[in-house]
Amino acid sequence: MKQILLITDGCSNVGESPVSAAAQAFAEGITVNVAGVVDEGTIGEHGAREIGEIAKAGGGMSRIVQTRQLSQTVQMMTRQTVAGTIRQAVNQELKQLFGLESVGALPPAKRAEVVKVMDELEETSELRVALLIDTSASMKPKLHAVEEAVRDLALSLEARIGSSAVAVFHYPGEFGHLPCALDCDWTSDAGHLPLLFSRIKMKGTTPTGPALLQVVDYFRETCGKIRSELAEAPAYGRGDAGEVRSDYVV
Amino acid sequence: MTTSSERNRLPPGTVVTGKWNGKKYKLERLLGVGANGQVYLASQGRSFCALKIGTEAAELQGEANVLASLDGTERGRGRPPFLLDVDDFSLNGRDIPFYSMRYVPGTPLKNYLKRHGEHWIGVIGYRLLERLAELHEAGWVFCDIKNDNVLVHDYGRVELVDFGGVTAIGRSVRQFTELYDRGFWSAGSRTADAAYDWFAFGMLWLHATDGKRLLQLLNTRLPQDRGVEDLMKLVRSNSRLRPMEKWLERAFHGSFGDSREALGEWRLAHRKQGTDAAKGPAHVPAWMAGLLILSVALCATLATVWLFR
Repeated sequence: MKQILLITDGCSNVGESPVSAAAQAFAEGITVNVAGVVDEGTIGEHGAREIGEIAKAGGGMSRIVQTRQLSQTVQMMTRQTVAGTIRQAVNQELKQLFGLESVGALPPAKRAEVVKVMDELEETSELRVALLIDTSASMKPKLHAVEEAVRDLALSLEARIGSSAVAVFHYPGEFGHLPCALDCDWTSDAGHLPLLFSRIKMKGTTPTGPALLQVVDYFRETCGKIRSELAEAPAYGRGDAGEVRSDYVV
Repeated sequence: MTTSSERNRLPPGTVVTGKWNGKKYKLERLLGVGANGQVYLASQGRSFCALKIGTEAAELQGEANVLASLDGTERGRGRPPFLLDVDDFSLNGRDIPFYSMRYVPGTPLKNYLKRHGEHWIGVIGYRLLERLAELHEAGWVFCDIKNDNVLVHDYGRVELVDFGGVTAIGRSVRQFTELYDRGFWSAGSRTADAAYDWFAFGMLWLHATDGKRLLQLLNTRLPQDRGVEDLMKLVRSNSRLRPMEKWLERAFHGSFGDSREALGEWRLAHRKQGTDAAKGPAHVPAWMAGLLILSVALCATLATVWLFR
Protein backbone atom coordinates (compact mmCIF):
# COMPACT_ATOMS: atom_id res chain seq x y z
CA MET A 1 0.00 0.00 0.00
CA LYS A 2 1.36 3.38 -0.98
CA GLN A 3 0.35 6.77 0.36
CA ILE A 4 1.47 10.35 -0.03
CA LEU A 5 0.66 12.68 2.80
CA LEU A 6 0.80 16.33 1.84
CA ILE A 7 1.10 18.88 4.64
CA THR A 8 0.59 22.46 3.51
CA ASP A 9 -0.94 25.75 4.56
CA GLY A 10 -1.93 27.39 1.35
CA CYS A 11 -2.28 27.38 -2.37
CA SER A 12 0.14 26.18 -4.97
CA ASN A 13 1.44 28.92 -7.23
CA VAL A 14 3.96 27.32 -9.62
CA GLY A 15 3.81 24.61 -12.25
CA GLU A 16 1.31 21.86 -12.97
CA SER A 17 -2.02 21.69 -11.21
CA PRO A 18 -1.70 19.75 -7.95
CA VAL A 19 -5.14 18.28 -8.57
CA SER A 20 -4.13 16.56 -11.78
CA ALA A 21 -0.81 15.56 -10.19
CA ALA A 22 -2.75 13.85 -7.37
CA ALA A 23 -4.98 12.16 -9.92
CA GLN A 24 -1.86 10.83 -11.66
CA ALA A 25 -0.56 9.49 -8.33
CA PHE A 26 -3.87 7.75 -7.70
CA ALA A 27 -3.80 6.27 -11.18
CA GLU A 28 -0.46 4.70 -10.25
CA GLY A 29 -1.88 3.17 -7.10
CA ILE A 30 -0.82 5.84 -4.63
CA THR A 31 -3.43 7.41 -2.36
CA VAL A 32 -2.96 11.11 -1.61
CA ASN A 33 -4.09 12.56 1.73
CA VAL A 34 -3.84 16.25 2.57
CA ALA A 35 -3.52 17.99 5.91
CA GLY A 36 -4.05 21.74 5.76
CA VAL A 37 -2.48 23.46 8.76
CA VAL A 38 -3.83 26.75 10.00
CA ASP A 39 -3.17 28.57 13.22
CA GLU A 40 -4.71 31.94 13.59
CA GLY A 41 -7.20 32.77 10.93
CA THR A 42 -8.32 30.55 8.12
CA ILE A 43 -6.71 28.96 5.16
CA GLY A 44 -8.79 30.98 2.73
CA GLU A 45 -11.59 29.74 0.57
CA HIS A 46 -9.34 29.09 -2.40
CA GLY A 47 -6.79 27.16 -0.33
CA ALA A 48 -9.45 25.06 1.35
CA ARG A 49 -11.01 24.20 -1.98
CA GLU A 50 -7.68 23.23 -3.48
CA ILE A 51 -6.86 20.98 -0.52
CA GLY A 52 -10.21 19.25 -0.83
CA GLU A 53 -9.78 18.80 -4.57
CA ILE A 54 -6.26 17.35 -4.27
CA ALA A 55 -7.48 14.72 -1.81
CA LYS A 56 -10.50 13.89 -3.92
CA ALA A 57 -8.40 13.46 -7.05
CA GLY A 58 -5.87 11.44 -5.05
CA GLY A 59 -8.48 9.04 -3.69
CA GLY A 60 -7.72 10.12 -0.14
CA MET A 61 -9.09 12.46 2.49
CA SER A 62 -8.33 15.99 3.60
CA ARG A 63 -8.53 17.78 6.91
CA ILE A 64 -7.90 21.37 7.88
CA VAL A 65 -6.49 21.46 11.40
CA GLN A 66 -4.62 23.54 13.96
CA THR A 67 -0.98 22.62 14.50
CA ARG A 68 -1.66 20.97 17.86
CA GLN A 69 -4.06 18.52 16.22
CA LEU A 70 -1.65 17.68 13.44
CA SER A 71 -0.07 14.52 14.94
CA GLN A 72 -3.41 12.99 15.66
CA THR A 73 -4.86 13.90 12.28
CA VAL A 74 -1.90 12.53 10.36
CA GLN A 75 -2.20 9.18 12.12
CA MET A 76 -5.94 9.05 11.74
CA MET A 77 -5.73 9.68 7.99
CA THR A 78 -2.99 7.11 7.48
CA ARG A 79 -4.86 4.44 9.38
CA GLN A 80 -8.20 5.17 7.82
CA THR A 81 -6.69 5.11 4.38
CA VAL A 82 -5.20 1.68 5.02
CA ALA A 83 -8.55 0.45 6.33
CA GLY A 84 -10.36 2.08 3.42
CA THR A 85 -8.09 0.54 0.81
CA ILE A 86 -8.60 -2.93 2.28
CA ARG A 87 -12.33 -2.39 2.60
CA GLN A 88 -12.53 -1.34 -1.02
CA ALA A 89 -10.63 -4.40 -2.18
CA VAL A 90 -12.80 -6.71 -0.08
CA ASN A 91 -16.01 -5.06 -1.21
CA GLN A 92 -14.93 -5.46 -4.80
CA GLU A 93 -14.34 -9.18 -4.28
CA LEU A 94 -17.69 -9.55 -2.57
CA LYS A 95 -19.39 -7.85 -5.44
CA GLN A 96 -17.72 -10.02 -8.04
CA LEU A 97 -18.22 -13.27 -6.18
CA PHE A 98 -21.62 -12.83 -4.57
CA GLY A 99 -23.13 -9.69 -6.08
CA LEU A 100 -23.14 -8.02 -2.67
CA GLU A 101 -22.87 -4.27 -2.30
CA SER A 102 -20.39 -4.27 0.62
CA VAL A 103 -19.32 -6.02 3.82
CA GLY A 104 -22.34 -4.42 5.47
CA ALA A 105 -24.65 -6.49 3.30
CA LEU A 106 -23.42 -9.73 4.87
CA PRO A 107 -25.31 -11.15 7.85
CA PRO A 108 -23.50 -10.31 11.13
CA ALA A 109 -22.05 -13.78 11.70
CA LYS A 110 -20.38 -13.88 8.26
CA ARG A 111 -19.44 -10.23 8.56
CA ALA A 112 -17.54 -11.06 11.73
CA GLU A 113 -15.39 -13.57 9.86
CA VAL A 114 -14.66 -11.26 6.96
CA VAL A 115 -13.77 -8.39 9.27
CA LYS A 116 -11.32 -10.62 11.13
CA VAL A 117 -9.46 -11.13 7.88
CA MET A 118 -9.63 -7.42 7.12
CA ASP A 119 -8.20 -6.50 10.53
CA GLU A 120 -5.41 -8.97 10.00
CA LEU A 121 -4.58 -7.39 6.64
CA GLU A 122 -4.71 -3.94 8.16
CA GLU A 123 -1.99 -4.87 10.62
CA THR A 124 0.18 -7.02 8.37
CA SER A 125 0.06 -5.45 4.92
CA GLU A 126 3.09 -3.62 3.63
CA LEU A 127 2.80 0.14 3.93
CA ARG A 128 4.80 3.06 2.54
CA VAL A 129 3.99 6.62 3.43
CA ALA A 130 5.85 9.48 1.74
CA LEU A 131 5.37 12.76 3.55
CA LEU A 132 5.54 15.84 1.39
CA ILE A 133 5.91 18.98 3.42
CA ASP A 134 5.35 22.54 2.32
CA THR A 135 8.21 24.67 3.66
CA SER A 136 7.31 27.93 2.01
CA ALA A 137 7.83 30.96 4.24
CA SER A 138 4.44 30.94 5.94
CA MET A 139 5.00 27.41 7.22
CA LYS A 140 8.03 28.37 9.29
CA PRO A 141 6.31 28.68 12.70
CA LYS A 142 4.54 25.36 12.13
CA LEU A 143 7.54 23.22 11.30
CA HIS A 144 8.12 22.13 14.91
CA ALA A 145 4.65 20.66 15.00
CA VAL A 146 5.18 19.06 11.60
CA GLU A 147 8.41 17.48 12.72
CA GLU A 148 6.71 16.06 15.80
CA ALA A 149 3.85 14.71 13.70
CA VAL A 150 6.33 12.96 11.40
CA ARG A 151 8.13 11.34 14.31
CA ASP A 152 4.89 10.34 15.92
CA LEU A 153 3.69 8.72 12.72
CA ALA A 154 6.98 6.87 12.33
CA LEU A 155 6.64 5.58 15.89
CA SER A 156 3.18 4.23 15.19
CA LEU A 157 4.19 2.61 11.93
CA GLU A 158 7.22 1.04 13.56
CA ALA A 159 4.85 -0.88 15.84
CA ARG A 160 2.98 -2.50 12.95
CA ILE A 161 3.64 -6.13 12.16
CA GLY A 162 3.65 -5.56 8.42
CA SER A 163 6.73 -3.94 6.93
CA SER A 164 6.23 -0.18 7.09
CA ALA A 165 8.38 2.74 6.08
CA VAL A 166 8.22 6.50 5.79
CA ALA A 167 10.14 8.88 3.56
CA VAL A 168 10.15 12.63 3.98
CA PHE A 169 10.30 15.32 1.30
CA HIS A 170 10.00 19.07 1.52
CA TYR A 171 9.21 21.56 -1.19
CA PRO A 172 10.28 23.85 -2.79
CA GLY A 173 13.64 22.10 -3.38
CA GLU A 174 16.98 23.65 -2.54
CA PHE A 175 18.49 24.23 -5.92
CA GLY A 176 15.69 25.67 -7.91
CA HIS A 177 15.64 23.07 -10.65
CA LEU A 178 13.93 20.37 -8.58
CA PRO A 179 10.47 21.00 -7.18
CA CYS A 180 11.14 19.07 -3.96
CA ALA A 181 14.03 17.65 -1.96
CA LEU A 182 14.39 14.33 -0.14
CA ASP A 183 15.03 14.73 3.59
CA CYS A 184 14.87 11.11 4.57
CA ASP A 185 14.91 7.97 2.45
CA TRP A 186 12.58 5.06 3.32
CA THR A 187 13.11 4.20 6.94
CA SER A 188 11.24 1.89 9.27
CA ASP A 189 12.93 3.10 12.43
CA ALA A 190 11.53 6.17 14.16
CA GLY A 191 14.71 6.51 16.20
CA HIS A 192 16.78 7.01 13.07
CA LEU A 193 14.87 9.92 11.60
CA PRO A 194 17.32 12.77 11.23
CA LEU A 195 16.56 16.29 12.34
CA LEU A 196 14.43 17.24 9.42
CA PHE A 197 14.07 20.92 8.87
CA SER A 198 16.90 22.54 10.73
CA ARG A 199 18.84 23.75 7.70
CA ILE A 200 16.07 24.64 5.34
CA LYS A 201 16.08 28.04 3.74
CA MET A 202 12.54 29.22 3.46
CA LYS A 203 11.49 30.33 0.03
CA GLY A 204 8.37 31.82 -1.34
CA THR A 205 7.14 29.56 -4.13
CA THR A 206 4.79 26.66 -3.62
CA PRO A 207 5.16 24.16 -6.48
CA THR A 208 2.71 21.62 -5.05
CA GLY A 209 1.88 19.93 -8.35
CA PRO A 210 5.45 19.38 -9.58
CA ALA A 211 6.50 18.23 -6.11
CA LEU A 212 3.72 15.63 -6.02
CA LEU A 213 4.81 14.31 -9.41
CA GLN A 214 8.40 14.05 -8.25
CA VAL A 215 7.32 11.95 -5.26
CA VAL A 216 5.36 9.70 -7.62
CA ASP A 217 8.59 9.23 -9.61
CA TYR A 218 10.36 8.34 -6.39
CA PHE A 219 7.76 5.68 -5.67
CA ARG A 220 8.29 4.24 -9.14
CA GLU A 221 12.06 4.18 -8.71
CA THR A 222 12.11 2.68 -5.23
CA CYS A 223 8.97 0.69 -4.64
CA GLY A 224 8.47 -1.48 -7.69
CA LYS A 225 11.50 -3.52 -6.72
CA ILE A 226 10.99 -3.50 -2.99
CA ARG A 227 7.52 -4.85 -3.31
CA SER A 228 8.50 -8.08 -5.03
CA GLU A 229 11.52 -8.53 -2.78
CA LEU A 230 9.52 -8.12 0.38
CA ALA A 231 6.78 -10.37 -0.85
CA GLU A 232 9.35 -13.12 -1.30
CA ALA A 233 11.01 -12.49 2.01
CA PRO A 234 8.30 -11.55 4.50
CA ALA A 235 10.61 -12.37 7.40
CA TYR A 236 12.58 -9.27 6.63
CA GLY A 237 11.03 -6.74 8.93
CA ARG A 238 11.48 -3.62 10.90
CA GLY A 239 14.42 -3.22 13.16
CA ASP A 240 16.90 -5.08 10.99
CA ALA A 241 18.27 -1.96 9.46
CA GLY A 242 17.42 1.68 9.58
CA GLU A 243 17.04 1.83 5.87
CA VAL A 244 15.09 -0.58 3.80
CA ARG A 245 15.87 0.34 0.26
CA SER A 246 19.60 0.14 -0.02
CA ASP A 247 19.74 -3.57 0.77
CA TYR A 248 17.06 -4.41 -1.68
CA VAL A 249 17.76 -2.58 -4.87
CA VAL A 250 18.45 -5.29 -7.39
CA MET B 1 -12.93 16.95 14.72
CA THR B 2 -16.61 17.20 14.18
CA THR B 3 -18.10 14.17 12.59
CA SER B 4 -21.38 13.72 10.89
CA SER B 5 -22.38 11.46 13.77
CA GLU B 6 -22.51 14.44 16.10
CA ARG B 7 -25.16 16.10 14.06
CA ASN B 8 -27.35 13.09 13.50
CA ARG B 9 -28.41 12.43 17.05
CA LEU B 10 -31.38 10.17 17.39
CA PRO B 11 -34.09 11.52 19.69
CA PRO B 12 -34.97 9.60 22.88
CA GLY B 13 -37.81 7.19 22.31
CA THR B 14 -36.54 6.12 18.88
CA VAL B 15 -37.13 2.41 18.41
CA VAL B 16 -34.33 0.48 16.77
CA THR B 17 -35.31 -2.84 15.24
CA GLY B 18 -32.62 -5.28 14.21
CA LYS B 19 -32.76 -6.36 10.58
CA TRP B 20 -31.22 -9.81 11.08
CA ASN B 21 -31.99 -10.81 14.65
CA GLY B 22 -35.21 -8.88 15.07
CA LYS B 23 -34.53 -7.51 18.56
CA LYS B 24 -36.16 -4.19 19.46
CA TYR B 25 -34.45 -1.46 21.45
CA LYS B 26 -35.84 1.84 22.69
CA LEU B 27 -33.25 4.60 22.93
CA GLU B 28 -33.35 6.39 26.30
CA ARG B 29 -30.52 8.89 26.07
CA LEU B 30 -27.15 9.56 24.50
CA LEU B 31 -24.29 8.32 26.71
CA GLY B 32 -21.38 9.48 24.62
CA VAL B 33 -19.98 10.24 21.20
CA GLY B 34 -16.81 8.47 20.09
CA ALA B 35 -14.56 8.71 17.07
CA ASN B 36 -16.62 6.26 15.07
CA GLY B 37 -20.11 6.30 16.51
CA GLN B 38 -22.53 7.15 19.26
CA VAL B 39 -23.41 5.17 22.36
CA TYR B 40 -26.96 5.27 23.69
CA LEU B 41 -28.58 3.90 26.79
CA ALA B 42 -31.32 1.66 25.46
CA SER B 43 -34.07 -0.38 27.03
CA GLN B 44 -35.53 -3.72 26.11
CA GLY B 45 -38.63 -4.03 28.19
CA ARG B 46 -37.29 -3.72 31.72
CA SER B 47 -33.63 -4.36 31.11
CA PHE B 48 -31.11 -1.81 29.97
CA CYS B 49 -28.14 -2.08 27.67
CA ALA B 50 -25.74 0.21 25.84
CA LEU B 51 -26.19 0.49 22.09
CA LYS B 52 -23.35 1.61 19.87
CA ILE B 53 -24.44 2.98 16.53
CA GLY B 54 -21.82 3.59 13.86
CA THR B 55 -21.60 4.39 10.20
CA GLU B 56 -19.03 1.93 8.97
CA ALA B 57 -20.15 -1.70 9.31
CA ALA B 58 -16.65 -3.16 9.08
CA GLU B 59 -15.26 -0.86 11.76
CA LEU B 60 -18.08 -1.57 14.18
CA GLN B 61 -17.83 -5.27 13.51
CA GLY B 62 -14.13 -5.11 14.35
CA GLU B 63 -14.98 -3.79 17.81
CA ALA B 64 -17.72 -6.35 18.24
CA ASN B 65 -15.21 -9.06 17.33
CA VAL B 66 -12.90 -7.97 20.14
CA LEU B 67 -15.77 -8.01 22.62
CA ALA B 68 -16.89 -11.44 21.44
CA SER B 69 -13.38 -12.75 21.75
CA LEU B 70 -13.04 -11.30 25.25
CA ASP B 71 -16.33 -12.90 26.23
CA GLY B 72 -14.99 -16.18 24.90
CA THR B 73 -11.79 -16.09 26.94
CA GLU B 74 -13.52 -14.84 30.07
CA ARG B 75 -16.49 -17.14 30.15
CA GLY B 76 -14.68 -19.30 32.70
CA ARG B 77 -14.53 -16.44 35.19
CA GLY B 78 -18.29 -16.26 35.53
CA ARG B 79 -18.36 -12.73 34.15
CA PRO B 80 -21.55 -11.81 32.30
CA PRO B 81 -20.89 -11.29 28.58
CA PHE B 82 -20.23 -7.82 27.23
CA LEU B 83 -21.48 -8.29 23.72
CA LEU B 84 -25.21 -8.96 23.47
CA ASP B 85 -26.18 -8.47 19.83
CA VAL B 86 -24.77 -7.31 16.48
CA ASP B 87 -27.21 -6.12 13.84
CA ASP B 88 -28.31 -3.38 11.43
CA PHE B 89 -31.37 -1.20 11.45
CA SER B 90 -32.95 0.85 8.75
CA LEU B 91 -32.99 4.65 9.01
CA ASN B 92 -34.33 6.77 6.17
CA GLY B 93 -33.81 3.91 3.77
CA ARG B 94 -30.18 3.26 4.79
CA ASP B 95 -28.85 0.34 6.78
CA ILE B 96 -27.09 1.53 9.92
CA PRO B 97 -24.89 -0.96 11.78
CA PHE B 98 -25.04 -1.25 15.57
CA TYR B 99 -24.18 -3.58 18.41
CA SER B 100 -25.52 -3.82 21.93
CA MET B 101 -23.48 -4.48 25.04
CA ARG B 102 -23.84 -4.63 28.77
CA TYR B 103 -24.63 -1.24 30.27
CA VAL B 104 -22.00 -0.15 32.78
CA PRO B 105 -23.14 2.41 35.35
CA GLY B 106 -20.72 4.70 37.13
CA THR B 107 -18.93 8.03 36.95
CA PRO B 108 -15.55 8.78 35.42
CA LEU B 109 -12.69 8.33 37.87
CA LYS B 110 -11.91 12.01 38.44
CA ASN B 111 -15.47 12.89 39.36
CA TYR B 112 -15.69 9.92 41.70
CA LEU B 113 -12.52 10.99 43.53
CA LYS B 114 -13.80 14.53 43.80
CA ARG B 115 -17.05 13.38 45.33
CA HIS B 116 -15.82 10.57 47.55
CA GLY B 117 -12.27 11.59 48.38
CA GLU B 118 -8.83 10.65 47.20
CA HIS B 119 -8.43 7.94 49.85
CA TRP B 120 -10.30 5.71 47.38
CA ILE B 121 -7.26 5.60 45.10
CA GLY B 122 -5.94 2.42 46.72
CA VAL B 123 -9.07 0.35 46.24
CA ILE B 124 -9.92 1.67 42.80
CA GLY B 125 -6.37 1.15 41.59
CA TYR B 126 -6.34 -2.38 42.96
CA ARG B 127 -9.56 -3.34 41.23
CA LEU B 128 -8.50 -1.71 37.97
CA LEU B 129 -5.11 -3.42 37.97
CA GLU B 130 -6.77 -6.72 38.63
CA ARG B 131 -9.06 -6.19 35.66
CA LEU B 132 -6.07 -5.31 33.50
CA ALA B 133 -4.17 -8.37 34.70
CA GLU B 134 -7.11 -10.54 33.58
CA LEU B 135 -7.08 -8.93 30.15
CA HIS B 136 -3.32 -9.34 29.83
CA GLU B 137 -3.50 -12.98 30.84
CA ALA B 138 -6.06 -13.50 28.09
CA GLY B 139 -3.62 -12.00 25.57
CA TRP B 140 -5.12 -8.52 25.27
CA VAL B 141 -4.00 -5.01 26.06
CA PHE B 142 -6.62 -2.34 26.78
CA CYS B 143 -4.44 0.52 25.44
CA ASP B 144 -6.83 3.46 25.70
CA ILE B 145 -6.88 3.80 29.48
CA LYS B 146 -8.00 7.31 30.40
CA ASN B 147 -10.25 9.10 32.81
CA ASP B 148 -13.36 8.88 30.62
CA ASN B 149 -12.93 5.15 30.08
CA VAL B 150 -12.66 4.23 33.74
CA LEU B 151 -16.09 4.23 35.37
CA VAL B 152 -16.38 3.85 39.13
CA HIS B 153 -19.48 3.02 41.14
CA ASP B 154 -20.46 1.62 44.58
CA TYR B 155 -17.45 1.55 46.90
CA GLY B 156 -14.73 1.73 44.30
CA ARG B 157 -15.96 -0.91 41.87
CA VAL B 158 -14.39 -0.25 38.49
CA GLU B 159 -15.39 -1.04 34.94
CA LEU B 160 -13.52 -0.24 31.77
CA VAL B 161 -15.58 1.04 28.89
CA ASP B 162 -14.86 1.63 25.19
CA PHE B 163 -13.16 -1.52 24.02
CA GLY B 164 -12.44 -0.03 20.60
CA GLY B 165 -8.75 0.24 21.47
CA VAL B 166 -8.26 -3.28 22.81
CA THR B 167 -5.36 -4.85 20.93
CA ALA B 168 -3.81 -8.31 20.90
CA ILE B 169 -0.40 -8.41 22.58
CA GLY B 170 2.34 -7.75 20.02
CA ARG B 171 0.18 -5.77 17.59
CA SER B 172 0.35 -2.04 17.02
CA VAL B 173 -1.70 0.20 19.29
CA ARG B 174 -4.46 1.71 17.17
CA GLN B 175 -6.37 3.90 19.57
CA PHE B 176 -4.72 5.97 22.26
CA THR B 177 -4.86 9.34 23.96
CA GLU B 178 -1.66 11.38 23.64
CA LEU B 179 -1.43 12.35 27.29
CA TYR B 180 -1.52 8.69 28.36
CA ASP B 181 0.60 7.32 25.55
CA ARG B 182 3.99 5.77 26.27
CA GLY B 183 5.35 6.81 22.88
CA PHE B 184 4.27 10.40 23.38
CA TRP B 185 6.40 10.60 26.56
CA SER B 186 9.39 8.97 24.83
CA ALA B 187 9.11 6.03 27.20
CA GLY B 188 8.79 3.21 24.71
CA SER B 189 7.16 1.86 21.58
CA ARG B 190 3.56 1.72 20.45
CA THR B 191 3.53 -2.04 20.34
CA ALA B 192 0.81 -3.38 22.64
CA ASP B 193 2.17 -5.13 25.73
CA ALA B 194 1.24 -5.20 29.43
CA ALA B 195 3.71 -2.41 30.15
CA TYR B 196 1.82 -0.12 27.76
CA ASP B 197 -1.17 -0.37 30.08
CA TRP B 198 0.94 0.10 33.24
CA PHE B 199 2.22 3.36 31.82
CA ALA B 200 -1.25 4.65 31.03
CA PHE B 201 -2.45 3.45 34.42
CA GLY B 202 0.26 5.56 36.07
CA MET B 203 -0.72 8.56 33.96
CA LEU B 204 -4.31 8.06 35.03
CA TRP B 205 -3.42 8.95 38.62
CA LEU B 206 -1.26 11.89 37.66
CA HIS B 207 -4.05 13.20 35.50
CA ALA B 208 -6.73 12.57 38.11
CA THR B 209 -4.90 14.15 41.05
CA ASP B 210 -2.64 16.69 39.38
CA GLY B 211 -4.23 17.49 36.03
CA LYS B 212 -3.42 21.17 36.06
CA ARG B 213 0.31 20.79 36.59
CA LEU B 214 0.44 17.95 34.08
CA LEU B 215 -1.09 20.11 31.35
CA GLN B 216 1.26 22.92 32.29
CA LEU B 217 4.21 20.57 31.85
CA LEU B 218 2.82 19.57 28.49
CA ASN B 219 2.68 23.15 27.29
CA THR B 220 6.17 24.11 28.42
CA ARG B 221 8.15 21.06 27.28
CA LEU B 222 9.44 20.54 23.77
CA PRO B 223 8.50 17.14 22.38
CA GLN B 224 12.06 15.83 22.30
CA ASP B 225 12.54 16.76 25.98
CA ARG B 226 9.45 15.00 27.27
CA GLY B 227 10.36 12.08 29.45
CA VAL B 228 9.64 9.95 32.47
CA GLU B 229 11.84 12.12 34.69
CA ASP B 230 9.43 15.04 34.20
CA LEU B 231 6.57 12.86 35.31
CA MET B 232 8.48 11.64 38.35
CA LYS B 233 9.16 15.23 39.37
CA LEU B 234 5.43 15.81 39.45
CA VAL B 235 4.92 12.64 41.46
CA ARG B 236 7.55 13.57 44.05
CA SER B 237 5.97 16.95 44.67
CA ASN B 238 2.45 15.57 44.93
CA SER B 239 1.52 14.61 48.49
CA ARG B 240 -1.12 12.15 47.25
CA LEU B 241 1.21 10.25 44.97
CA ARG B 242 4.51 10.55 46.84
CA PRO B 243 3.93 7.30 48.74
CA MET B 244 3.46 5.59 45.37
CA GLU B 245 6.69 7.01 43.98
CA LYS B 246 8.55 3.72 43.69
CA TRP B 247 5.53 1.96 42.19
CA LEU B 248 4.89 4.68 39.64
CA GLU B 249 8.53 4.81 38.64
CA ARG B 250 8.44 1.10 37.87
CA ALA B 251 5.16 1.51 35.98
CA PHE B 252 6.57 4.32 33.84
CA HIS B 253 9.65 2.26 33.06
CA GLY B 254 7.64 -0.91 32.53
CA SER B 255 9.83 -2.80 34.98
CA PHE B 256 7.36 -5.18 36.60
CA GLY B 257 7.69 -8.87 35.81
CA ASP B 258 4.01 -9.16 34.98
CA SER B 259 0.69 -7.57 35.85
CA ARG B 260 0.17 -9.78 38.92
CA GLU B 261 3.41 -8.48 40.33
CA ALA B 262 2.31 -4.92 39.60
CA LEU B 263 -0.94 -5.66 41.43
CA GLY B 264 0.84 -7.14 44.46
CA GLU B 265 3.23 -4.21 44.67
CA TRP B 266 0.38 -1.73 44.40
CA ARG B 267 -1.33 -3.38 47.35
CA LEU B 268 1.87 -3.37 49.42
CA ALA B 269 2.55 0.29 48.69
CA HIS B 270 -0.91 1.23 49.88
CA ARG B 271 -0.73 -0.92 53.02
CA LYS B 272 2.55 0.74 53.87
CA GLN B 273 1.08 4.15 53.29
CA GLY B 274 -1.82 3.23 55.58
CA THR B 275 0.42 2.09 58.43
CA ASP B 276 2.66 5.13 58.03
CA ALA B 277 -0.38 7.34 58.25
CA ALA B 278 -1.52 5.55 61.43
CA LYS B 279 1.87 6.17 63.01
CA GLY B 280 1.83 9.71 61.77
CA PRO B 281 -0.02 11.61 64.53
CA ALA B 282 2.43 10.32 67.19
CA HIS B 283 5.06 12.63 65.77
CA VAL B 284 4.22 16.17 66.81
CA PRO B 285 5.26 18.57 64.06
CA ALA B 286 8.10 20.87 65.03
CA TRP B 287 6.12 24.04 64.46
CA MET B 288 3.41 22.85 66.84
CA ALA B 289 5.94 22.04 69.56
CA GLY B 290 7.58 25.41 69.00
CA LEU B 291 4.28 27.20 69.32
CA LEU B 292 3.54 25.36 72.57
CA ILE B 293 6.90 26.31 74.09
CA LEU B 294 6.39 29.89 72.97
CA SER B 295 2.93 30.12 74.53
CA VAL B 296 4.14 28.56 77.80
CA ALA B 297 7.01 31.03 77.94
CA LEU B 298 4.68 33.91 77.18
CA CYS B 299 2.29 32.73 79.88
CA ALA B 300 5.11 32.43 82.43
CA THR B 301 6.44 35.89 81.60
CA LEU B 302 3.02 37.42 81.93
CA ALA B 303 2.44 35.61 85.22
CA THR B 304 5.81 36.82 86.53
CA VAL B 305 5.13 40.36 85.46
CA TRP B 306 1.69 40.22 87.11
CA LEU B 307 2.98 38.65 90.35
CA PHE B 308 5.86 41.06 90.86
CA ARG B 309 3.95 44.09 89.81
